Amino acid sequence: MTGSQRDEIPSGTLDLLILKTLARHGEMHGFEIADSIQAATEDVLQVEEGSLYPALQRMLLKGWLQGEWGKTGENRRARYYTLTAEGRKQLRQEIERYGRVSQAIARILEPA
Amino acid sequence: MSGSEFLRRVRHLFARDRAAEDLREEMRLHIELRARQLRERGLAADQAGYAAGRQFGNREWYADKSMEIWGWTVWERMVQDFRMGARTLRKTPGFTAVAVLTLAVGLGMNTAVYSVVNAVMLRALPYAQPGRLTSLWEEYPNGKDDALNTSGAPLGKAELRAGMARTTVSIANIGDYAKSQAFTGMASCDLVRMNLTGTGVPERLAGEAVSASFFSVLGIAPFRGRDFRVEDDSRDAVPVVMISYGFWQRRLGGDTRVLEHSVMLDGRMRRVIGVLPRGFQPPSEIADGAPREFYVPAAYSKQQLQERGDHDVNVVARLKPGVSMRGAQADLDVIQAALARQFPDTNKDIHPAIGPLRDDLVKDTGTALWSLMGASALLVLIACVNVANLLMVRANGRRRESSVRLAVGASRIRLLRLFLAESLLLAAGGCAAGVLLGAALTRTLIALAPAGIPRLESTTMDWPVFAFAAAIAILTGVLFGIAPAWQASQSKPVEALKTAARSSGGKAQLRWRASLTVVEVGLSLVLLVGAGLLLRSFATVMGVDLGFQPDRVLAMNINLPDLRYKTAGERLRFFETLEQRVRALPGVRSVAYANRMPMRGSWRSGFRLDASSGTLLADFQMVSPEYFETLGIGLLRGRVLTAHDGEGQPPVAVVNQAFGRDFLNGQDPLGRSFLYRRDARVEIVGVVSDIRRGGKTAPVLPEVYLSAAQTGLAPVRLADFAVRTSGNPLALVTAVRQQVLEIDKDQPITNVRSMGQVIDESVAQRRFQMLLLAVFAAVALALAVIGIYGVLSYSVAQRTGELGIRIALGANPRGIVGMVMGQAGKLILAGLVVGLAGALVLTRFLESLLFQLGSADWPTYACAVVVLALAAGAAALVPAMRSARVDPIVALRDE
Repeated sequence: MTGSQRDEIPSGTLDLLILKTLARHGEMHGFEIADSIQAATEDVLQVEEGSLYPALQRMLLKGWLQGEWGKTGENRRARYYTLTAEGRKQLRQEIERYGRVSQAIARILEPA
Repeated sequence: MSGSEFLRRVRHLFARDRAAEDLREEMRLHIELRARQLRERGLAADQAGYAAGRQFGNREWYADKSMEIWGWTVWERMVQDFRMGARTLRKTPGFTAVAVLTLAVGLGMNTAVYSVVNAVMLRALPYAQPGRLTSLWEEYPNGKDDALNTSGAPLGKAELRAGMARTTVSIANIGDYAKSQAFTGMASCDLVRMNLTGTGVPERLAGEAVSASFFSVLGIAPFRGRDFRVEDDSRDAVPVVMISYGFWQRRLGGDTRVLEHSVMLDGRMRRVIGVLPRGFQPPSEIADGAPREFYVPAAYSKQQLQERGDHDVNVVARLKPGVSMRGAQADLDVIQAALARQFPDTNKDIHPAIGPLRDDLVKDTGTALWSLMGASALLVLIACVNVANLLMVRANGRRRESSVRLAVGASRIRLLRLFLAESLLLAAGGCAAGVLLGAALTRTLIALAPAGIPRLESTTMDWPVFAFAAAIAILTGVLFGIAPAWQASQSKPVEALKTAARSSGGKAQLRWRASLTVVEVGLSLVLLVGAGLLLRSFATVMGVDLGFQPDRVLAMNINLPDLRYKTAGERLRFFETLEQRVRALPGVRSVAYANRMPMRGSWRSGFRLDASSGTLLADFQMVSPEYFETLGIGLLRGRVLTAHDGEGQPPVAVVNQAFGRDFLNGQDPLGRSFLYRRDARVEIVGVVSDIRRGGKTAPVLPEVYLSAAQTGLAPVRLADFAVRTSGNPLALVTAVRQQVLEIDKDQPITNVRSMGQVIDESVAQRRFQMLLLAVFAAVALALAVIGIYGVLSYSVAQRTGELGIRIALGANPRGIVGMVMGQAGKLILAGLVVGLAGALVLTRFLESLLFQLGSADWPTYACAVVVLALAAGAAALVPAMRSARVDPIVALRDE
């Protein structure tokens, strides 16, 4: 890990990443989400893993996620998160917004 | 926030502990799984655990963050702060009790005064949309009253324009004022008294003669029957009357067929057309507190409707929605200008003026109440300062605790909140105790208050009062809490932990506390000066010589109706008969009658010294031979009036000293004469001593006493009857009434009072104000003394080490005492200077309450300064003496 270039995660995108990860994998607990994001981004995005939890709680509050306690493969208690219908809707909106923003940025960066 | 989100929030609130536990478990699992993964990738076990933890970040911080999402944390912390505050307060019951009691005294007095202020001055009048009701009066330049004919008392005492005097309104002018587009209605009213006969005991009742629109302007509908109509308001109409609810219940037994009744008022049958709602009071009753029992149409005569020189009635008007007081006034000014052009003789100097009706009714009481309010505000400030002082001592004792908290990571804000929570708890306790105390004080206040304060009896502890108490409590809580809290949160942990609890940092604190003490001494001085001014003014009033002896004199009004007693001669015969009968009663020393007894009104009239000179004004009284003896007015020269000074005899008069002083350049009036009414020459046969006819605070005016038996001389009615008794004057009331009824079974007697009692009542309001402010000042003084004692004791305790060294080195104990006293002296002196400045500014508001005394009365200031300096000095002496007894060994070992 050392030596590789690591970037701060852009603000506001953590929600998007969590939603997308859950959409792809269905049911996951906190560590799995973090690990999956890390793997997918090949450790480029750096984030303190703890920051996942306030985000998860906020999405629980908003009703985008549902949390169910279950057992892991090794019979440990863990909270498994799934997307709700509202969460899916939110994901679509977030992706759309992200697309708009990144296009706009890309247009500025494009050589004229 | 959507509904379901709100539900989730609420559900979370009730499962907070569980949620926190879940979170911790989740996080634990996360870190464990990460550590295992790292181990599997080849890290050593201990390193893997460490790395996993670091990758996760501050677990507690994220847990807090996660819980905060749900929005309850702020509240939770507040509850925590308060719980903790309560726990620490319970640990020091002595401190808590003193603080709460101090606040309770301050808040209680404020609550009591405010509840009275609220009832008397702030609460809306009991009419429809009372904010738009105005009082309308007329003003004229000061000193131009000679040309004015007025009867009737003005409704209120609103602030006038500079150099103007107020009068009741001319009936003829009302017609013009009412043309203004600024009002939806205008009504006139005037006090009338009538004898009620024909139903049981004859009684003289107070009522109002009103224009037909009176009740509709106030927005009051009758409880039964109908309101006046324009047709009723005419001399030719069927005589009608509307009665008060009280009249209906008391005199007509609440008969439901009341509208079929007629009542006999002043010998005239009037049909009852309406009953007013229970509790209804017309503005005049609110102002003077005397119940009005009936209302009759004013039915002004043609002459009244044209005579602009007579100013006789009160006017209430209702502003149109959207019209301001100023706009309406401007409108009236235009009308006045037109009237002045059209009727220069009568209207050139007469200006209509309006003001809010409520302010007009309570203006008089207003000044006194606001000054009380100001005094109680000062008191609560002093209480605050004291509690702040207490809290600072306490905060200092807890500097170590604060430092430890800061050192282990409590934020300064959190510490500040903790201290504030304690102060607010104290304030809440003080508020609760204060409201209880306030309720008791309010009752005492109402019970002790003199008569004549409008709406006082309606004082209740209601929501506005509670809200006020709570607001004050919170304000004080923050006010006295913020300084110590700030100090505690500023403590530097390292230094504080390093040094002994009582040394460094105490200096800044001492400065704080010293300035608080200065403020406290200053505030107390303001109250002391205020109380002193009222006390001195009251003493002056009590020392005033009335010029007559009111004790053991019974006075009453016997108003003989015109229908029965048609001529002045008949009225004189009634009184002569009554005089003879009453004189024969046991316990009667002398008997007198006149048009008006002192303290019961006067009658100003014009006369000339000779045919070529101008008209002069004096109070004229038609008096019976024993008048002077009965009232204890001393004869100085010549003779008093006798039974021989009757009709057909040469007109004679007795005058007072002021007559000679004011009209004859100080020459002796005896033997002189003057021209009166149709140029009768009246000879002055005696000179009596001056009296203050209107009471202790009234001026001495020239008086002319004419013989009651010379009935043709003056057009006044004999109406007052007085008896000097050898015992309690009130014991004779029944016997005198009996004599009156034996002469005329339909003749009521009214306004029966012992004259001494009337004099007492005339100064009662002053006495009450003085007593209240004295109590306030005493409490303030006590608090200031406690405050000074506290600061000095603390400073001596702080300096124990230093004092120990001084004593060990051989300092003189007397020198030590002097040093401490010097320190106290500086504080007190500074406080006195602040207080003097404050008093000079603030007591100016008391000026209108003072009698023959300016607010900058230096003897009062001197006394207040001496009292405060002595009390404060005594308070300082105790810790000063203690400082001299410091045992150097104990002091140094302690260091």
